[in-house]
Amino acid sequence: MKLPAPPTEKSFRSPLHHPRVAIVIGRWLGIAVTICFLTGLFSHFQQETPGWLHIPSRPANLYRVTQGLHVLSGTVAVPLLLAKLWTVYPKLFAKLPWPPSRQALANVLERLSILVLVSALALELFIGFVNTLQWYPWPFPFKQTHYALAWIIVGALLVHLSVKLPLIVAHWRATPEPVADSLPPAITGLTRRRLFRTVAGAAALAGITSVGQSVPALGPVAVLAPRKPNVGPQGLPVNRTAHDAGVTGIGPDWRFTIKGPQELSYTLDQLRQLPQSRSALPIACVEGWSQGARWEGIRIRDLLRLCGAPEGSRVRVVSMEKGGFYGTSELPPEFVDDPLTLLALRLNGSELALDHGYPARVIAPNRPGVLQTKWVHRLEVIA
Amino acid sequence: MKLRASLAAVGIGVGLWGLWLLLHTVQVQALIRLPLWLAGAVLADDFFLVPLTVGTGWLVTRWSAGPDHHRTISAVRTTLLYVGLTTLIAIPLLLRQGKGVNPTVLPRDYLRDWLLLEATIVVAGAVWFVVQRSRFTFKRSRASSGDIGGR
Repeated sequence: MKLPAPPTEKSFRSPLHHPRVAIVIGRWLGIAVTICFLTGLFSHFQQETPGWLHIPSRPANLYRVTQGLHVLSGTVAVPLLLAKLWTVYPKLFAKLPWPPSRQALANVLERLSILVLVSALALELFIGFVNTLQWYPWPFPFKQTHYALAWIIVGALLVHLSVKLPLIVAHWRATPEPVADSLPPAITGLTRRRLFRTVAGAAALAGITSVGQSVPALGPVAVLAPRKPNVGPQGLPVNRTAHDAGVTGIGPDWRFTIKGPQELSYTLDQLRQLPQSRSALPIACVEGWSQGARWEGIRIRDLLRLCGAPEGSRVRVVSMEKGGFYGTSELPPEFVDDPLTLLALRLNGSELALDHGYPARVIAPNRPGVLQTKWVHRLEVIA
Repeated sequence: MKLRASLAAVGIGVGLWGLWLLLHTVQVQALIRLPLWLAGAVLADDFFLVPLTVGTGWLVTRWSAGPDHHRTISAVRTTLLYVGLTTLIAIPLLLRQGKGVNPTVLPRDYLRDWLLLEATIVVAGAVWFVVQRSRFTFKRSRASSGDIGGR
């Protein structure tokens, strides 16, 4: 029996496998990847702030918006990437130039750069989405791999743009549409314009069915989102429960201590006697979900004044949490001084639920949820 | 040419920085398995998802050559594509349904919601088809009755 011949570049006869189509969809994908990269970089710097960088504490909702955009642009990039790969698919079957020459070498290198770009981007989008489900079926650490792959993607993308620049320039503006020799678009109905509309519609569909995890108003239609912003104790989702953190509650001998120039110690009742302030601040998680909430507690800067710490101090926040990466966090001076930053005791009108950090947690503006340390029993002034 | 060369140079630099990060932050045990996952991502795209789309597109286009099918093809193709895409995104959610690390993760009934979503897409496709067809027949009946817009 004779096997059918493998396809060649010419086997794909749709006129939509055309540079102009690749460039229009490529532009959209490029915008999504750029937004995703920049918002991801911001999130990375929030969690590992280099010494030279000062992240402001305002706008209070900034992280909520950037991280929502990060996950949204990543989700929307899935249909865009598939459409882009579809358009350029015949190239996969293009013959390598033979015999070897400089041109052939350049061609091989170009293909290698595309292999890096496609494999890294496809894996990045996959692990990014699955991470929002807090599911980690792969044998490598998510955070480090996701971050390093992002740089590899941007590098490979720049190389790709450099290689394709003449083609991009030639087709940047609309070019006449070739007529298919098989079935004209009048019959099949798929003109370029209609393809673009269909792809844009697919991207919009992916966005609308998932963005509700960051935009509570769209929560009811977010059928493809792993979170509902209002599901959880006190109307707020939870990432790490008290059970997972090994926190079972507090005994009568529980004390909150603050260590600065003076060391002060308070019982929970004494904390409640201190002047209380209110903040309306969101919990915005690295996984993209977010929800606004009303918090009540003591301003961190008031606590620092009580222990005699100077303005511009940096504070280490220590949790009762056992293990895990986020048992402690650091509040830079901008966040300590912000009047919205609280040692919160109450949430949405009642005492903090254990899963939200009872008896006390930190809540600050423009911060990722992982740094809003729960079950706080100690503050240390460190500078 | 200068622009292209500098773009490529910056790209290689940025990519190598990413590689350096990978080598310095990920342990060897994990690093040696990463290429398998990268290759898997390419295989899933280039040898499953895209061929599936190409194949389906070919079948739909072939089918559209049948009598009167050219009127339905747009609605059929778009509906199939949107059903496919939303199903692809729903797969991880369906697999992990009820297995969230706590009750606030994956709180929906994803099977029900996925079925509702697909039903909505199919119904929207059907409605769109009916609207398109009524416009088409309206235009044609006007044309055949000699009323072609005042000319």
